[in-house]
Amino acid sequence: MSFKTEIIERNNVQVIGSGSKVLLLAHGFGCDQNMWRFMIPQLSSDFKIVLFDYVGSGKSDVSQYDKKRYSTLDGYAQDVLDVCQALELKELVFVGHSVSSIIGLLASIQKPIIFSKLVMICPSPCFLNFPPEYLGGFDKEDLEELLNLMDTNYIGWASYLAPLVMGTENSESLVTELSDSFCSTDPVAAKTFARATFFSDYRHILKEASLPTLILQSNDDALASVAVGEFMKNEMAHCELEIVKAKGHCLHMTHPDSIAPELIRFVNL
Amino acid sequence: MHDTPKKMQYSLDMFRCGALVTDKQRRIIYANSYFLEELKWPLDELIGKAIDEIFNRPSKIFCESYLMPLLMHNKKCEEIQLSLLDGEGVKIPVIVNAHMDSNETIYWSIFNATNRSKLYQELVDARTKLEAQAEVLESLSSTDDLTGLMNKREMTIRAPLLLEQSQRFKHSISVLMIDIDFFKKINDNHGHLEGDRVLKEFGRCLTEFGRQSDLISRFGGEEFLLMLPDTNSEGANVCAKRVHDLVTKIRVANGSITVSIGICVTDGTQAYETICQRADEALYQAKNSGRNRTVFFK
Repeated sequence: MSFKTEIIERNNVQVIGSGSKVLLLAHGFGCDQNMWRFMIPQLSSDFKIVLFDYVGSGKSDVSQYDKKRYSTLDGYAQDVLDVCQALELKELVFVGHSVSSIIGLLASIQKPIIFSKLVMICPSPCFLNFPPEYLGGFDKEDLEELLNLMDTNYIGWASYLAPLVMGTENSESLVTELSDSFCSTDPVAAKTFARATFFSDYRHILKEASLPTLILQSNDDALASVAVGEFMKNEMAHCELEIVKAKGHCLHMTHPDSIAPELIRFVNL
Repeated sequence: MHDTPKKMQYSLDMFRCGALVTDKQRRIIYANSYFLEELKWPLDELIGKAIDEIFNRPSKIFCESYLMPLLMHNKKCEEIQLSLLDGEGVKIPVIVNAHMDSNETIYWSIFNATNRSKLYQELVDARTKLEAQAEVLESLSSTDDLTGLMNKREMTIRAPLLLEQSQRFKHSISVLMIDIDFFKKINDNHGHLEGDRVLKEFGRCLTEFGRQSDLISRFGGEEFLLMLPDTNSEGANVCAKRVHDLVTKIRVANGSITVSIGICVTDGTQAYETICQRADEALYQAKNSGRNRTVFFK
């Protein structure tokens, strides 16, 4: 099996749309590439869009899961680089949700030549509080309890985690095809991803950012506050911060109409 | 004839579970009286609050990472366990079912899950304990006790994968079979404890010198097998020289130990057993031609 075929299967890579510019959309912790489906109608006519699932999420090949590799965000950054190498992508715009923003930044620092710009949706370089100088929003005990919550919910779901039924109003073929894996991540992989996401501190790499970057932050997000967005903007060179008047951490799902034009504008700058 | 029940006789306030409605901005626009009676929330304080304000912080993350995306995607979610804060700030485990209509109004049903949560916690604790035990057992079965390197069994499992990889990526791979010279004499003259110390030190030497991607194992007795991915014969030669250098630091009585090394370089197309055999043949030649040297299989 060639490297290309192997990675396409391993990371469930999908390529849609057409255009000279390539957008690589990277899902955050919790779900999978389906998170992007609300944005795709607005992007696919102008851009070539590459979607993928990190190993351990969505419809990736779970047999390739390596707990050690995916215990830090570098392992996920390697997934990004593998996908780029497999598809021979260059000059791409990386769009990451939440933790994927940092994963993309790590990948771009490692192989800057592949990337042209970064778009970060609700990013945070560190979810932990280090008072007084930095408030990521959460204490260690909160995050330990989160891991516990993931466990209890897995037990709770296990009895009926057979394919999740779609709402009748969602008729797109893409959705029907891929929906059964949505959020039904393998528990070991999900907990490892949670630990890598929420216990890490990547504030120090922000200074190494060199690409033009757009941060889209909600003005009311329980996970990544406006202050975190401002902190990132101050640390990173060539960084633009847009505060979107919205509630929640999943702007690309809840407010695709507000953020898609911003994203398109920034990509075409 | 039965009396037809009057609609007004029944209301959501009669149900022993919480019922909430939130609007598009996820602000609470309705709460039944369960919140006041059982959860000590004055209803007028509750109305207008964002839904996530009634959850504790870990549950907020869970909400944002799982529950909301599920709701956006599937328009419903069921049996999600979260922790709610009652009107006095006390944490209460609850099970949440919710569905969202086309206006993004969300209807939440909330059930107290205090007892169920205790049971789950016991199951989680039991599983965590089992996982930890399994990890210890796995490490014991794959590790050589004395040196902490992987054992022959583990090498036999992992080597074929590495060979497959090198074949796929068209990299050469070097296999080094290393034997400590006159090891029997160390044991005979200085005792087994001293022999063990030498093996341990040599193991540590190899670990410090190896790259993360190298497979380093104690193959048995005083024999060690190294597999170095992406390494051609030139690279293997450099590595072997370093090993010869490094072992001079391992002292026994007044001298230092030496090793003999047999190397087989492959493109990954031969079987693991064949490669080991070839490295072993080269090692045999190194031993026969005076020890303390490296011989390549030809």
